Amino acid sequence: MASSYLVSRGVAALGIHLQHVCRNVLLTQTREKKRWMKSYTLLMERKRKLEGPPPPKPRSHQPNWDYHAEVQAFSSRLQENFSLELLKTAFVNPCYVRSEEENRRKLGLEGEAAALSLRDNTDLRGRGLDFTHSFLSDWCRGNFPNLPAEAVAAVVGHLTSPTVMCHVARNLAVEDLAMSSQCPVPDEVLQATFFAVIGALHESSGAEQAGFFLRDFLVPQLIGKDLFEVWPVVNPMGLLVEEMSRRKQSLPEPRLIRSAGASTVLPLYFVGLYSDEKLLAEGPGETVLAAEEEAARVALRKLYGYTENRRPWDFSPQSQHPAPAVRALQST
Amino acid sequence: MTSRGTPSRFLQSVLQNGVGRYVCQLKRISLIFSKKAQSSLGVREYIEEGVVDFAKKNPGTVVYVSPQSCRIPKIVAEYLNGNVREEIVTAKPSREVAALVQKLSEQSGLDIIRIRKPFHTSSPSVQGQWHPFTNRPPSIGPIKPQDSQAQ
Repeated sequence: MASSYLVSRGVAALGIHLQHVCRNVLLTQTREKKRWMKSYTLLMERKRKLEGPPPPKPRSHQPNWDYHAEVQAFSSRLQENFSLELLKTAFVNPCYVRSEEENRRKLGLEGEAAALSLRDNTDLRGRGLDFTHSFLSDWCRGNFPNLPAEAVAAVVGHLTSPTVMCHVARNLAVEDLAMSSQCPVPDEVLQATFFAVIGALHESSGAEQAGFFLRDFLVPQLIGKDLFEVWPVVNPMGLLVEEMSRRKQSLPEPRLIRSAGASTVLPLYFVGLYSDEKLLAEGPGETVLAAEEEAARVALRKLYGYTENRRPWDFSPQSQHPAPAVRALQST
Repeated sequence: MTSRGTPSRFLQSVLQNGVGRYVCQLKRISLIFSKKAQSSLGVREYIEEGVVDFAKKNPGTVVYVSPQSCRIPKIVAEYLNGNVREEIVTAKPSREVAALVQKLSEQSGLDIIRIRKPFHTSSPSVQGQWHPFTNRPPSIGPIKPQDSQAQ
């Protein structure tokens, strides 16, 4: 509203020169200083300031875009043998088909003519979702045999969460290729597209190759993550007691090992957990309770084999090691 | 400006690239040049000689060659993480254009700013964080449960 007012006012204020130039450019072209230019530029600048930046354009609507070449490059960039038909299907979201048909109907096409002959990625994304879940849980159980089922579910849920999946998909240029009805592709649509790409790979190259794809692109997102960042545990001491009693070991006893600066603003307590008079773990904290909780977390990490000094995961290329079955180092 | 005032980042890679498999980060490169202008002579020569070889060698990069009437020939490189770099190649010989294209294809697309250290690790200390008891022998004998001390 404000901008249109501005434009009309500006146009009125520009006066004779603008009319002189704009009425018929071809006939009354003059070689003189364009005195109307300054006010026009300023006006456009103010308009841009009021309206904000223009809405983002999808990459496919910008110059230099060849869809077939882009899809082919996507496939060979990831060093995979996608079947291109399936890969192109994987990028077509149902929301895009719906909005395109809507647009066609608005333009006056009806019935058969309005329908697009495009397959959308609904079944591919379902297949990809199932495969991703099963592969990641198998991978988790293989690498951490002691991890309980809830933790495995939490790790898989973290890796397949919209934030992680969209981060990976955006950095693999899936966003450029994905066809969606809205322009910055929404997170759910992008996640579903990435699942569909995984499904297409599973369909065209088999389960082993798709597993390597997941291992190479999704699993590295776990590097540097702590177990309890991924799996929030409210009461680690209770969980530790449960685990120890399940393994028929004597229950952990917390003891204050060391403390410093108890009367200062920066107190430090070290709590050790003992079981059968053997030190299980020790943890620091600003209060005794916090230190006990930290010690319980350290003990849990040792029990599950998810310590920081575990052996790194195996990411060797598949040609060298056809069947990578490396167990995590059981930490001492 | 002092080095503290300039923007900086840590050494990093996109998506832990190279942990699993290496992915060339340059997804698209467009050569924008003029068919007539003197300033894009080198780019035209490069397009005649080297661009097909480059495209064959890098199947993961889409190469667009777009002749336009422009005085300033440009190379626009788009990276997987969404960054776009424009390089102006006015009056550069084809040798330099080839070197520039090669350099663009080897970069990661992250901002080219000061890197704080030439190495980076996500777990900064192998020994664990320092605390007041680091490297200090336990003051009261060996660490034991308190009950056994009392007996």
